[in-house]
Amino acid sequence: MAGPAPRLPRDLRLDFFRGLSLFFIFIDHIPENALAYFTLRSVAFNDAAEVFIFISGYTAALVYGQSLRENGVLFATAQIYRRVWQLYVAHIFIFVIFTAEVSYSVLLLQNPMYTEEMGVADFLQEPHLAIIRALTLAFQPTFLDILPLYIVLLATFPLVLILLERHRFLPLVLSAVVYGMTLRHGWAFHTRPSHDVWFFNPLAWQFLFVIGATAGHDQISGRPPFPTNRWIGRVAIVVAVCFGAINFSWTLHWIYDPIPPLFAKALWSYSLDKTNLAPLRLLSFLVVAVATVHFVRPDSAILHSRWARPVIMCGQQSLYIFCLGILLSVLGHFLLAEFSGGLLAQIAVNVVGIGAMIGMSALLEWFRAASRRPRPAHSSSIPVTPSE
Amino acid sequence: MRFVALLFVLPIALLLCGTRPSFAADPVQCAAPRELIEDEPQLPALAERFKQHKPITIVVIGGGSTAGTAPDNAYPHFLENALRQRHPDTAINVINRGVSGQTTEQMAARFTKDVYTHQPALVIWEAGTVDAVQSEDVNAFADALTTGIAAVRDHKAEIMLMDMQYNPSTVSVINFEPYLDALHQTAALEDAYMFQRFEIMKYWSEGSVFDFNDVPKEKRASLAREFYKCLGERLADAVEFAAR
Repeated sequence: MAGPAPRLPRDLRLDFFRGLSLFFIFIDHIPENALAYFTLRSVAFNDAAEVFIFISGYTAALVYGQSLRENGVLFATAQIYRRVWQLYVAHIFIFVIFTAEVSYSVLLLQNPMYTEEMGVADFLQEPHLAIIRALTLAFQPTFLDILPLYIVLLATFPLVLILLERHRFLPLVLSAVVYGMTLRHGWAFHTRPSHDVWFFNPLAWQFLFVIGATAGHDQISGRPPFPTNRWIGRVAIVVAVCFGAINFSWTLHWIYDPIPPLFAKALWSYSLDKTNLAPLRLLSFLVVAVATVHFVRPDSAILHSRWARPVIMCGQQSLYIFCLGILLSVLGHFLLAEFSGGLLAQIAVNVVGIGAMIGMSALLEWFRAASRRPRPAHSSSIPVTPSE
Repeated sequence: MRFVALLFVLPIALLLCGTRPSFAADPVQCAAPRELIEDEPQLPALAERFKQHKPITIVVIGGGSTAGTAPDNAYPHFLENALRQRHPDTAINVINRGVSGQTTEQMAARFTKDVYTHQPALVIWEAGTVDAVQSEDVNAFADALTTGIAAVRDHKAEIMLMDMQYNPSTVSVINFEPYLDALHQTAALEDAYMFQRFEIMKYWSEGSVFDFNDVPKEKRASLAREFYKCLGERLADAVEFAAR
């Protein structure tokens, strides 16, 4: 039997920037965290969520697209749904923790001053409905909204893969139409029975996922996944720098009032709609991405440096590290709010949290390598499959 | 290594140059740093009324925390007391139009009935809590604020905005941040005075001026009253500063 098809060397930029976006998501999810001034959202209209979704689309196409070619549609779909199941279980686990936290907070909050704030615990009035709504992804409390998006995007991904095999731009065109119609007609994902809409609207965010998937699919088809035209790169750099300057002035204004926020009146409201992936956020992400791949090449020294190693490890174990990051940010914020919110405490929470994420990823990597260690008697040619 | 060092040094530097509190010369225990009270936009028409001792009507529109537990146990009541005490020659009337459980859009819908009929010189709009609790669309929230501010100004009234209440237990389960951002940005863009209740309460909470969580249940109501009094007085400070 012939060996498996040769695999392309893993593009470490995917793991590095996904790892970085996981750190940023953790940091940004702790409200009033001083370190949040130093994440992507301080210098761009988009934030780490866009990076995470794009790279997830890219790597999904890379891994499952290759599997589809080698093992067929059915097997690839089964693999995708195994992942969907893992995400679903993770979502339910985080829901349970959130419920515990709300219950605890409400106990502390029995005070006439906070009648409206107590509304956050309304779902506990009817636990039987709350649990069913959580199981059907209809209940998406604060901070727990990106996993349901990821679940829906992956669950529909086999279709994207099949269309990609038909023509590489077919899903992109269809997806752009859906995105445009969503923006134009205000289509939204509603939850039943309440009227709430999903914080991350899958009908809008699928576009970014499919853009990522198209790039990833190009890579397994032997095409360059990113624009190679030098001018596109240059224009992207200029635009990214302008966007960076504008956003940085907003951040500075936030910290120190007399610094004027540039173009705030004209641009601010256009960057606000994260639910529907506002076009300005999408554009901002795309120029940042193109500018970044222009400077950081797959063989760049920074990717092979000692400092990049832990980030890359986290990016490679993205599902577990993502969930851990969400848990840690909830926990960290809880500690800061209940005990001390001083700068030293904030730094401690950030350092311990990121340390835990890195430690966990190292543990997972060791475990994966140890489980795959070739047995002496049998074949030593088990291919090391990169995870999605 | 240098990058990592920078990561730690920068926030410390920012904190040192940014947040040293300077107090208003107020000896009461619930004072607040001056920069939490003072904002740039001014209320010239209200200032004129104070100067000429013309009667002043202020409508406070908001949610449950504005309504309070009773009309005389809510911050607008204490705002009225404080302003009357400081301006004995001026007829000052503060009308409380707080209704619990409404989103900002729903509040704006009752401006015609609840606000304009009183022909107020100043409208204080307390907004954002229910929107954050129910995770309403931030975009729609900012839109409702912008339209509401313009409508109040069309009716020849000046406006002051107030943000949410702070409590260490609520902020870990309610995502206030995007709504605070939207509220503050809208205020800045529309040049509206922003009363930073959230930051002031946080300041009190961290300084243990008010600590609601470690108090026996039977004392909570009287503590709430004391708190509303302090908040009403700080709000009076802000109104006076804006109408200087």
